[in-house]
Amino acid sequence: MKEFKPLPAQPAPNDTIGPIHWMKENLFSSPVNTIVTLAIIAFFATVIPPLVDWLFISANWVGNTQSACTNENGACWVFVIAWSKQFFYGSYPVEEIWRVNLCLIGLVAIIIASFKLNKDLRNKIAIPLFLLLPFISILFLDGSWIGLEYVSTDYWGGFTLNVLLAAASIIVAFPLSFLWALGRRSDMPFIRSVSIVLIEFFRGVPVLALFFMGSVMLPLFFPEGTNVDKLVRVWIVLTLFMSGYMAEVFRGGFQAVPKGQYEAADSLGLNFWQKTLLIILPQVIKISMPNILATFVMLFKNTTFLLIIGIFEMLSTTQTALTNSNWLGGHSTEGYLFVAVVFWICCFSMSMISNSIERKLDTSHKN
Amino acid sequence: MKRVTSVIATSLAIGLSFGAQAGTLEDVQKRGNVSCGVSTGLAGFSQKDEHGTWSGLDVDVCRAVAAAVLGDASKVQYKPLTAKERFTALQSGEIDILSRNTTWTHTRDTSLGLNFAGVNYYDGQGFMVSKDLGVKSALELDGAAVCIQAGTTSELNLADYFRANGITYKAITFDTSDQTRGGFESGRCDVLTSDQSQLYALRIGLKDPASAMVLPEVISKEPLGPVVSQGDDAWFNVVRWSLMAMVEAEFLGIDSASADKAKAEGNPSQKRLMGSEGDSGSKMGIPAEWGYNIVKQVGNYAESFERNVGTGSPLKISRGLNAQWNKGGIMYSSPVR
Repeated sequence: MKEFKPLPAQPAPNDTIGPIHWMKENLFSSPVNTIVTLAIIAFFATVIPPLVDWLFISANWVGNTQSACTNENGACWVFVIAWSKQFFYGSYPVEEIWRVNLCLIGLVAIIIASFKLNKDLRNKIAIPLFLLLPFISILFLDGSWIGLEYVSTDYWGGFTLNVLLAAASIIVAFPLSFLWALGRRSDMPFIRSVSIVLIEFFRGVPVLALFFMGSVMLPLFFPEGTNVDKLVRVWIVLTLFMSGYMAEVFRGGFQAVPKGQYEAADSLGLNFWQKTLLIILPQVIKISMPNILATFVMLFKNTTFLLIIGIFEMLSTTQTALTNSNWLGGHSTEGYLFVAVVFWICCFSMSMISNSIERKLDTSHKN
Repeated sequence: MKRVTSVIATSLAIGLSFGAQAGTLEDVQKRGNVSCGVSTGLAGFSQKDEHGTWSGLDVDVCRAVAAAVLGDASKVQYKPLTAKERFTALQSGEIDILSRNTTWTHTRDTSLGLNFAGVNYYDGQGFMVSKDLGVKSALELDGAAVCIQAGTTSELNLADYFRANGITYKAITFDTSDQTRGGFESGRCDVLTSDQSQLYALRIGLKDPASAMVLPEVISKEPLGPVVSQGDDAWFNVVRWSLMAMVEAEFLGIDSASADKAKAEGNPSQKRLMGSEGDSGSKMGIPAEWGYNIVKQVGNYAESFERNVGTGSPLKISRGLNAQWNKGGIMYSSPVR
């Protein structure tokens, strides 16, 4: 009996492999495709070299005044570099910047800790710290209550203000919106109607209108001589705005929890708060997490609207820099491009984090 | 009953007037700084540099007041305000002075509960054209396309001016002054109109500033000045005279370099301004050397002007109307005596 010997594997025919074949198949398979491919190549060939040249090769990097931007065919990054301290920290005193950094590090550390710590420690340490963080940060940044040098909110600014304000708003909005969402599902008519009015008001009014109310109208209602700081007013406005949105996100979460879960909790004899906090809330958070993070990205970008009420967050710092008489050379492209890139990096990393949390929490029966 | 009502009304009125008069000046002295509303960024008038330091013609008014009241021009708390917030901030007492290129108009002076303490810059709306156009006067602009920022009084002034002179134009509106400049530069319009102080700043931003020129016509009156809230006369006086002291110092020939000399051995009117003679300070409830402090630390009006918007700055605005009255302008101060 002749032993069966399979033929050795043959390489694929030359016209079905390799980059050339791939291009034939995907880029030049029909006359229309060929034309489109050529058009796109031509487009990139005309756009990219000048762009790269403007962005990097001919760009001006060194110096600290406008006159250092000698090459007119390139971007004037000197502008961004010279103003970088203002862009990131505003007018916060240079010797005190460690306080801003400390708050940022605190924020990042708590976020990392809530990923890494086990469940018990997370509930006991990370979550309370998270909720306290805005207030601790205010103590540090202001300084007057804890014996550091007092820094008035007029000096706070830049990108760190965007980050800290967004974080402080969402942290306070978290419990608040949860209560509003509970209130909206409540059987008690008064609580229900109050919650509905609050949620619908803050969801229905544009955030710009809310900012104007906070900055222009509110001070007129206070008795003369009492001034609530503008930044605090804005913080409150942002928090309430955020709560309105998150309450609806939470409500969606509540409705997605199967009825059996409520009934199971009831049959165990748990009271209302035990049922809500121990059984329902964890499931609600799990379900709503992607939406919460999406809402947070929105809020983070909304902090740039503060420029219309004269708070020096990053975007309005850019505008201020553009009006300085020593920098009147038309650097708006560089300035806005820089702001856009910084915000894009942050928002993109947040959606990456959001994706990973989603995967981690995914215990559903999808598969 | 009637009497009771009138008693209540009177005591309320007294209480209110006391409330209004319980002065900003004392508050400022107690607090140790002047809270000053400025613009969020306007070249030459109130601008922040990359180190966070404020400077500008409007900022110098605040510094002068701080120098007069507290003896230290750096004791100013700057509150950047947008155009919409500025009057509220003053009415609610958040700021002591509003020095934010605010035009002195009848409506603002009479109906908003505030007072203009003087004028630190006489502005007016003008036109910028490309030199290639070969136009020498705004009256030759019949049929021109005009770039303009939407929602400003400039838009209304423009319509008035062209209608009054029976010539036509086509308005091309933009949202921000940056975009307006872009429109002008790309040739979408022949003319750009705005306040003259702005035109110079916009002109520097052009790729080739020398290709554009500002026409001589000024089609509106825009006196800009510091504002305080109404009903606080002591504070009003301090602000008004701090501004006057700068103008008067220029008139008397005192600048920051010669302030010491003028104080010690000047002529009588110089000495009165510098506080080494007379009691001009105590009449306002501020230190006798208030005038000296202003001139020494901030400078006279000419120094402030040249440093911020004039030859010492990139803007290079000529004095024009803002020169002293005896040099062809209308800057005039009452004597300190």
